[in-house]
Amino acid sequence: MFSHVSRELSAYCHGELAEAESRRVAEHLIGCKLCRREFEEIKLGVKLAEHLPCVSAPASMWSEIESALSQHSHPTVSDEQRNPRRFGFGWRPFAVACALLLLAIGAVWFLLHQSNTSQIAVNDKQAINSNSVTEANQKEKQVPVETVNVSPPVNSNDKPAEIKPAPPASDATWEVARLEGSPKIGANLMEESGRLAVGEWLETDATSRAEINVANIGHVEIEPNSRVRLVETNATEHRLAMTRGGLHATISAPPRLFFVETPSGVAVDLGCSYTLEVDKAGRSILHVTAGWVALELKGRESVVPAGAVCVTQPGKGPGTPYFDDASDKFRDALTKLDFQNGGAKALSIVLAEAREYDTLTLWHLLARVQDAERGRVYDRMAALIPPPQGVTRAGVIKLDKGMLDLWKKGMQWAWFE
Amino acid sequence: MERRAVASEQKITERVIEACQQGDREGFRLLFETYQDKVYSISLYYFKGDEAAARDVTQQVFLKLMTKIEQFRRDAEFTTWLYRLVVNACMDEQRKRRRFIPFGDGFEMSGKFVEKSSPEERYARVEIADSVRVAIGELKPKMRLPILLKYVEGLSYDEMAEVLNCSKGTIASRLNRGHKILARRLSHLRGAFVTGEQKDV
Repeated sequence: MFSHVSRELSAYCHGELAEAESRRVAEHLIGCKLCRREFEEIKLGVKLAEHLPCVSAPASMWSEIESALSQHSHPTVSDEQRNPRRFGFGWRPFAVACALLLLAIGAVWFLLHQSNTSQIAVNDKQAINSNSVTEANQKEKQVPVETVNVSPPVNSNDKPAEIKPAPPASDATWEVARLEGSPKIGANLMEESGRLAVGEWLETDATSRAEINVANIGHVEIEPNSRVRLVETNATEHRLAMTRGGLHATISAPPRLFFVETPSGVAVDLGCSYTLEVDKAGRSILHVTAGWVALELKGRESVVPAGAVCVTQPGKGPGTPYFDDASDKFRDALTKLDFQNGGAKALSIVLAEAREYDTLTLWHLLARVQDAERGRVYDRMAALIPPPQGVTRAGVIKLDKGMLDLWKKGMQWAWFE
Repeated sequence: MERRAVASEQKITERVIEACQQGDREGFRLLFETYQDKVYSISLYYFKGDEAAARDVTQQVFLKLMTKIEQFRRDAEFTTWLYRLVVNACMDEQRKRRRFIPFGDGFEMSGKFVEKSSPEERYARVEIADSVRVAIGELKPKMRLPILLKYVEGLSYDEMAEVLNCSKGTIASRLNRGHKILARRLSHLRGAFVTGEQKDV
């Protein structure tokens, strides 16, 4: 009878399951009340969706298209041939060529590295110390005085060089690949690839991009005009700091292992993929594309699921997360609430504009509005998604953590796909 | 609304596509007539009844189709290729419009639909259809798209996965979620369905 089949129910209704799987679902449904209840719900959803009618396109559409087409001398000539755009040169062959080149460089590097390692093994400590001195001196030269405006963790690697045996390269440095233009590691222009050590800066200009391999847990693409530093990398924490620019991180690791500091908040990976941008004023905007990310600063936390956005401001920390298809009115009012002492009027707009899945925003607002306003937020949330048993108005208004967590759990179906 | 004759999808053979790739205007016309309503419907539902947006997207899709059809390779289904153009055009248009137009205004489409069923059925279904349109418009875009591709175009899970560039499991999960939300929001319509139609377990 187990395991439950709730995930397969739409596919079952649509006849998309293989015969054996379909039989398993049917047999399970006979004996499982829980799944049967879900099946009734899915079936109703299917029947409702089947009532979606097809709409006729306006009659004048073909003539409009024809007149637009007549501006093209020959309709089969592609736009890209006429107006080469960003990737108009045929990026696929280029990407393959780059990949092959990187592989070749990697192979040469590996062979050289192997031979160096053997040499080190033969010449033992003297060679190791010599390497360390060189690396440490380089670090002293390369690490600029500038630091990130968010309190970074205390890190002995930020101190001026001291002579000590270098740890294995894979432990202390991250591999960086040049994607476009000429990124810099420290003061040095990158070749096709390079390594970023703890304390070092990676910088891209307007025409360059790079990709960092984050230990063995994922990768981070660094966009043009960005400046990032490797703050820490060890078994329990991998931490970057970004003072400006943008990055796109894709991480497959347990939660709270990968961090990105910005001047106005720390993005904490909870198993996800996201884009983070920081402007010159230190404000940042986080856009989560998969999983969850937490944004934190000085005890203030916003938990941002896929499809949602969160803005941070220096001195204020993370704002309230919202889904990226929220209306302009909703977003403007939320900005006022978060960063401009918005007040009752802005709150009224947010409450009025909120949809079912905007309970994400309202749930965060519960702890951020004045006590007197909390009841209004509760009432709107309860109208959108009724609280589960055990969650009361009085308890929520008192910010009872157990109740808030319970309700959040009960709302997550609306926040996620 | 008077309904124009719609070419059957079966007529879109390799020869028609080949003719289009040679620049044959009649071939394009056949493609357009076959798919215009579906492309327009998906765009209209995606933009919650915004006819101007749906019109723009439909035009963009067919212009793109006509100027890029030579890039279509036979290793994929033509419909997969076409609906990928539709999905991309919808998302591009949404991105453009997001800055200027509040997204999420209500539907204003009542009475502008042409039902494909008989007049009797149409009469019986009009209330449900209105509610369903509004509820689908309220779904998050990533749930809305599989619902539209499934129920407007009738794509299989494999085809939707290809169009939306995700796994079949993701499609199943998004449809599951979408169905549940529709059922919860429109639970008051449950009585309108005959229980005898229910799938045997």
